[in-house]
Amino acid sequence: MRIMGRRKKIVQECEKLMDRPEQIRNIAIAAHVDHGKTTLTDNLLAGAGMIGQESAGEQLAMDTEEDEQERGITIDAANVSMTHEYEEKNHLINLIDTPGHVDFGGDVTRAMRAVDGALVVVDAVEGAMPQTETVLRQALREGVKPALFINKVDRLISELQEGPEEMQQRLQKVIRDVNELIRGMTEEMDDIDDWTVSIQEGTVGMGSALYKWGISFPSMQRTGMDFGDIIDMERADKRQELHERTPLSDVVLDMVCEHFPNPIDAQPRRIPRVWRGDADSEVAEQMQLVDDDGEVVLMVTDIGVDPHAGEIAAGRVFSGTIEKGQELYVSGTAGRNRVQSVGIYMGGEREEVDRVPAGNIAAVTGLKDAIAGSTVSSIEMTPFESIEHISEPVITKSVEAKNMDDLPKLIETLRQVSKEDPTIRIEINEDTGEHLISGQGELHLEVITQRIERNQGIPVTTGEPIVVYREAPTQGTEQVEGISPNRHNRFYVSLEPLDQEIIDVLKKGEATMDMPELERREALQEAGMDKETSQNVEHVFGSNIFIDDTKGVQQLNETMELVLEGFEEALEDGPLAAEPVEGALLRLHDARLHEDAIHRGPAQVIPAVRDAVHRSLIHGEVRLLEPIQNVRIDVPNEHMGAASGEIQGRRGRVDDMYQEGDLMVVEGIAPVDEMIGFSSDIRSATEGRASWNTENAGFRVLADNLQPDIITEIRERKGMKTELPQSIDYF
Amino acid sequence: MLTFVGLGLWDERSVTVEGRDAVRAADRVFAEFYTSKLAGTTVADLEEHHDVDVEVRAREGVERDPGPVLDAAESGDAVFLTAGDTMIATTHVDLRLRAHERGIETSIVHGTTAAAAAASLTGLQNYRFGKATTLPFPYAHGGDDVPASVLETVDANRERGLHTLCFLDIKVGHERAETDEHMTASTAASLLTEAGRGDDLGAVVARAGSPDPVVVADRLTALAEREVGDPLHLLVLPGGLHHIERDALVELADAPPALADERLA
Ligand SMILES: Nc1nc2c(ncn2[C@@H]2O[C@H](COP(=O)(O)OP(=O)(O)OP(=O)(O)O)[C@@H](O)[C@H]2O)c(=O)[nH]1
Ligand SMILES: [Mg+2]
Repeated sequence: MRIMGRRKKIVQECEKLMDRPEQIRNIAIAAHVDHGKTTLTDNLLAGAGMIGQESAGEQLAMDTEEDEQERGITIDAANVSMTHEYEEKNHLINLIDTPGHVDFGGDVTRAMRAVDGALVVVDAVEGAMPQTETVLRQALREGVKPALFINKVDRLISELQEGPEEMQQRLQKVIRDVNELIRGMTEEMDDIDDWTVSIQEGTVGMGSALYKWGISFPSMQRTGMDFGDIIDMERADKRQELHERTPLSDVVLDMVCEHFPNPIDAQPRRIPRVWRGDADSEVAEQMQLVDDDGEVVLMVTDIGVDPHAGEIAAGRVFSGTIEKGQELYVSGTAGRNRVQSVGIYMGGEREEVDRVPAGNIAAVTGLKDAIAGSTVSSIEMTPFESIEHISEPVITKSVEAKNMDDLPKLIETLRQVSKEDPTIRIEINEDTGEHLISGQGELHLEVITQRIERNQGIPVTTGEPIVVYREAPTQGTEQVEGISPNRHNRFYVSLEPLDQEIIDVLKKGEATMDMPELERREALQEAGMDKETSQNVEHVFGSNIFIDDTKGVQQLNETMELVLEGFEEALEDGPLAAEPVEGALLRLHDARLHEDAIHRGPAQVIPAVRDAVHRSLIHGEVRLLEPIQNVRIDVPNEHMGAASGEIQGRRGRVDDMYQEGDLMVVEGIAPVDEMIGFSSDIRSATEGRASWNTENAGFRVLADNLQPDIITEIRERKGMKTELPQSIDYF
Repeated sequence: MLTFVGLGLWDERSVTVEGRDAVRAADRVFAEFYTSKLAGTTVADLEEHHDVDVEVRAREGVERDPGPVLDAAESGDAVFLTAGDTMIATTHVDLRLRAHERGIETSIVHGTTAAAAAASLTGLQNYRFGKATTLPFPYAHGGDDVPASVLETVDANRERGLHTLCFLDIKVGHERAETDEHMTASTAASLLTEAGRGDDLGAVVARAGSPDPVVVADRLTALAEREVGDPLHLLVLPGGLHHIERDALVELADAPPALADERLA
């Protein structure tokens, strides 16, 4: 039957496989920028017959967005599915191609939640790079098993003209480096024994995504083609023949089927890692067993917009079977959403199906309240651990609609943007019309504003990028009193700076108010908090903690919501420059409250608490922190001085310089603020011979002599009074 | 000199003669209407009636920035007006103390308060009222129900056979309210019904101090359905009833006799 096209057949085959979790593999492809993920993905799709052979490779069929094609990089993670026959069984492979540029790292973290295996791609010439380390860490944290593909081996042969010896050494080094990283990261993970990769075991593949050939230990045995043959054929420019005799897609897809866990193997290990609910509950068991008859549990990892179907939530179904018409809870929101349609990804396109059972990646419409990171379920349940991206937004840009008429549409678009990408923060200011977008880096913001203009057709003006600051206390304080405007309510608060270890735990979301109290206490105690304090935690906000040490204060209970509102308000806008506060532990010792609820309402309690918190921060000598970046520059020897000068000249510090191959590597750190505009400066300083990488590395206290100026600058920008409260006299 | 003058319950004519004289003799007249207001008049009418300028101050301007009021009282005769009595609902004793701190003399001219009207209109006896309480709008106290302390107050009074006077929240220019909002007795009764008190007896007083006040007593479930017209409203939750009180509620407030009998002490 001709009408039932090839595509339809494949869909039917996929639908059959969806019900056989042993034959499913959910995987992500992750790597440093430009190492060849998308080229490889195209290849696999072509090999599996999902797209034409011609369109694979050079065209980057998976980079579908206009800006992705223009910039030659992947921006959005892309879902694709394919089938592959291995050992006489057909397999359904759901694959996510992730971006490599650091600015889009949030996509990688989210993808890892949906998958059980990560194919880490490393460029044979460049070797393991900073983002290689980052993506490995992201995978391992989620309990996702890695395998290695060394790409661009053609370049060793044809470009660098390396012989078998040299090549061997180079490839071995890549494997050693990757294994060292895996070993280091899994050392303290009890649920993972040995996840290092090796050629003999078949967990390492090598080849050329561009010329579509590959080899692995099992493939050598199958095809009889060894390295010598490959070098000869590549040198003789017989790439097409090489592809036909040992096609890359077979090598990689076989490896995927053989070495990556299926959902039944993976979920019992992964669920305890990513979900902190009651381990003895029914739903816990259903998720571990991939029970397609169980409660529906979907973890949303991606929100996209389809011009026809509207908003699409994609994610992993951990238990139950998701179907049209179901009314599902969405974590963090009240009420339920009705599933309008469910689908899977065929090639790169969404295909509606009747149902998607546990163990698969589903594309769902109708979940209007869901954001990337939501838990969607048929019962009310503890949500999954939030997928905190490791690095917080560090850079901000203002956006304004050029035409007043576009204002509502711009606001709607901005809200949508933050729903799709949780590593973005949006501040909407309807009064001034000047909205703020904060993100991971210059490129991140550039891409977003460009998309608003192009895809939504809203002309906007944007401000210069500025970095985001933090405020943090540097010492502890005595009790400070906060008095309500009517003077009938008083709060007594003291402050202690949190240890870095506790701050890290909070930032990673390892101690939250969502988790069972006992677990939170344990996590905090493990990070060094004393027992009694950990028992009195009343609230966590960002990386700040609120402790209730009061005893028997009448009516404090029903006022607590307002107290916490005041606490949050005070910490959202710190006393120095209204930047977010981090690392403060605030302790409420005592409170005097008015008898009657009306006289201890929001207008009284919030300002009183806010005042107490701000004054204790000032007593605690609060200071401004600025974001910093790790910088790595690869540069020929003769430009090394200029390269390290570029770091040092930016209030930066060079930590290491060493030779790698024929290049020198300079490593150091520098403030993000100074790194704005780095690209063009380093290019001219090194005659365009340097390649560099940056990675956000948290926040650092700004030197005291710079504090007053920068604080004034921010206050001016925000339209605040420029003079500081008199009590701030310690700079 | 700072004179606190209570304007009484309803309109520009509810003030005492002594209060009227103080207002007319003052150099500056301040007022606050965020605690409560005179439902039967406007500030303009009040000004016209007394032939004075009234400077209305928002909560901020009383609690956080009382300077101008105190300055005026220091250099001349200032009057501070509120609806009802100045020291009962929102106690402006804080302002009085601040004046004393600055060595300013103060005095008080009393006004009739809602608390007095509630007793006199319902016939419930003043000496049998316990602690009063205020029922806040849910959004105003950070929860979505009746605060536990309100219920505790009612229960504690009930246990001792005492009535509870429930003031109802008013929000003037609240950010989350569209216009000035007065909680109606029916809203209050339905909030209490939701809190499981639907079967209790309640007595509603509407527009106390006006020429046509309304007083009705019934179960809270029934009061939740009943509209009694314009603000302001008060709600009384009777405890045990003395037989005269029982007769008063039936005669003056239309209480179903059987229901009133249940409460006879
Ligand atoms: N010589 C050679 N070039 C390759 C190979 N694989 C990819 N490339 C080239 O490397 C560049 C980057 O490839 P992509 O597939 O876009 O890399 P990516 O990892 O998806 O990049 P991002 O998604 O932006 O991180 C392109 O110019 C490819 O043509 C290969 O095996 N050999
Ligand atoms: Mg890519």
